[in-house]
Amino acid sequence: MARMKFYCDAERCIECNACVTACKNENDIPWGVNRRRVVTIKDGEQGERSLSVACMHCSDAPCAAVCPVDCFYTTGDGIVLHDKDICIGCGYCFYACPFGAPQFPKDAAFASRGKMDKCTFCAGGPEEDNSSDEFKKYGRNRISEGKLPLCAEMCSTKALLAGDADVISDIYRKRIVNRGGSAFNWGVSSNIKG
Amino acid sequence: MRIQTLLLLFCLVLPQLSSAAGPPKSQDSPQGVSSINPGADLWREVRQRDGEILEGISQVKSVDSGFLINARGDEWARFRITKLSSYGGIAIAAIFVIVTLLYVVRGKIPIEGGLSGRMVRRFTDYERIVHWTLAIVFLFLAITGLILLLGKSLLLPILGKEVFSLFASASKEGHNLFGPLFLVSLIMMFLSFARRNIYENGDLTWLLKGGGLIGKGHVSGGFFNMGEKTWYWMVILIGFVIAISGLILVSPFFGQGRWIMELSHVVHTIGALILMTVSVGHMYLGSIGSEGALEGMKSGYVDINWADAHHDRWGKVCHDENLIVSAEDYARLQGRKPGDTGELATEQGK
Amino acid sequence: MIEYLIDGPLWYFSLAVFCIGVLWQLASIVFAKGKTDLSVARGSAGRGAIRNVFSRFMPHREIAPQIRVQVVAGYMFHLGLFALLFFAAPHVLFLEEHLLGFGWTPMPHWAFIVASQFAFLGLIILWLRRMLNPVSRLISTLDDHVAAILTFIVMLTGCLALLEGFTALRLLHRFSVELLLIYFPFSCLMHTFTFIPSRAFTGAWFGRRGIDA
Repeated sequence: MARMKFYCDAERCIECNACVTACKNENDIPWGVNRRRVVTIKDGEQGERSLSVACMHCSDAPCAAVCPVDCFYTTGDGIVLHDKDICIGCGYCFYACPFGAPQFPKDAAFASRGKMDKCTFCAGGPEEDNSSDEFKKYGRNRISEGKLPLCAEMCSTKALLAGDADVISDIYRKRIVNRGGSAFNWGVSSNIKG
Repeated sequence: MRIQTLLLLFCLVLPQLSSAAGPPKSQDSPQGVSSINPGADLWREVRQRDGEILEGISQVKSVDSGFLINARGDEWARFRITKLSSYGGIAIAAIFVIVTLLYVVRGKIPIEGGLSGRMVRRFTDYERIVHWTLAIVFLFLAITGLILLLGKSLLLPILGKEVFSLFASASKEGHNLFGPLFLVSLIMMFLSFARRNIYENGDLTWLLKGGGLIGKGHVSGGFFNMGEKTWYWMVILIGFVIAISGLILVSPFFGQGRWIMELSHVVHTIGALILMTVSVGHMYLGSIGSEGALEGMKSGYVDINWADAHHDRWGKVCHDENLIVSAEDYARLQGRKPGDTGELATEQGK
Repeated sequence: MIEYLIDGPLWYFSLAVFCIGVLWQLASIVFAKGKTDLSVARGSAGRGAIRNVFSRFMPHREIAPQIRVQVVAGYMFHLGLFALLFFAAPHVLFLEEHLLGFGWTPMPHWAFIVASQFAFLGLIILWLRRMLNPVSRLISTLDDHVAAILTFIVMLTGCLALLEGFTALRLLHRFSVELLLIYFPFSCLMHTFTFIPSRAFTGAWFGRRGIDA
């Protein structure tokens, strides 16, 4: 069985935010919820790098471990999803996630948290595949159509890779080899020192 | 001519030689190229958990959106699951066991000479209202809080995910709404009882004698004994910490980072567990553990024998200032027919 | 099945019992025959009636210190409840959809929460006072306790369903409301409407004699 993962090539990411926009548009995400974001380290300085971050679909997900109502489940492909019908909006998964993937709509009750929303690897949720209920709650289900997540498909420099872990690591390894041994030949954000 | 050709050939070959030797190693590169991967130093810095966590920026502006990795989150999650839930559950179970054992071994602590039926006023209406308001709010918060902390391990296997999530959602909303009520009740309790709970001479003696709980023997106490005062200050101080951390947790719209939420959560839970365990002891001693104790919080009056046995310095004041109410008068005050003194007076005490 | 009953027939039944019951009770008060005052009128009954309806919102100076708890907690509860009932967003939406056909601007969410906290605290303090004060306890009937507890249950179930994501919790709240509506006309809760004719009568009776009640 495949083990689905994301990998963002920091040397290619140009911070265009196409992945962010594609995700928001395709999954019809409400205002205030950010499934994917691009984080830039050392912005404006030499050695600036950007990474596109969303749910990393961890094999031993801390969000699933800490959830007090156990609303998370992992599909056969290794994609970590959750059931919004069970979620109580407590926010613990947001505290536990190293990447800050879980998001909460701001329009709900006193604790200002509605049901949690996060990147689903474009694999929908527990509802029936490609039903309108599933789209309303979880967004597009591309995996059931045999496609890959839209963020990776829309990446302008193919920095963001999504798919089976073996395939991705293979692609990345080939890139490293092709980039050669000299620092002069490194990707877009190359520089002599750092 | 030959030397020039050789020199030319040499110059052409030289760069090929150097690149054929492979990628320049960091130690022996004369030009100062730092490493193979130009980002290696940066990522090493990002991965340092103990050092300064490198915070980036993001075009997406939300809480902590600039943080690439928050490693403390996983630490907090593991702490909550492995230590907080399990030790907390054990503590709650343990106090019930201890209290049961205490009752089985020691039984209801009687008053020497029994109850007389002659009463003295201890708490006003308002003071009792404050106490029971705090008690009801606290019990509700305790039960809903325990469902959130322990429900996944104890209730979910029995009820199933759908039904349990109903309870959990109800508990979370109820807990969040009643939280500020706890703060208000706490302030009311502080204002009502603070003066009488200030430690004074004689409290240390009370503590050293074990409060009379161990063995027999008369221990002197004021209006409140040292045990009650300590419990009072625990409720006020730990209660305030719980309330403040709870307010932080329940209002995420001020943009608090995750570390402050995690810290508040830990402080909140540990404080609550401490208060819950000691409150079981308080509830036991105030009701079935000690003869004549509950009456004070129900009607506001306590038996004079009870006052002399447990709070003799205050009892003496009641004797001196003639504040004692006879059994008949007390029955009348409580709306009972004269002569019907209820179950308060015992044969020996009259 | 249960959802259909609670959202359908039981809702209409409870509404009918409430409306007819309240009107019947009020009519029986308004049309009741009373003693005729044969003395010469020294003041105006009408003015006395209207004056008394509003003046009784504050306690008399002589007894005010003794009933501070009831006044403060009472206002907290009633004002909070009024704000909740008519200006909380889910209620405004409900009234618009299921009853009136029109709505109005609801409170902001934080105001909804603050109002509900005032209401809860007020009700808890009031009920505790009823239980702890020996006089109140003596003269309280089962009706008084049931009314307080039923109101508390309605508020509590509403609070528990605050996330608005679980049907069972919403149904629990709605069911408790229907029970309250059915209980309402036969209980002390009728004070919601009867306080007006009650104060008016007293005000008129004494106003006619020239006394400010």
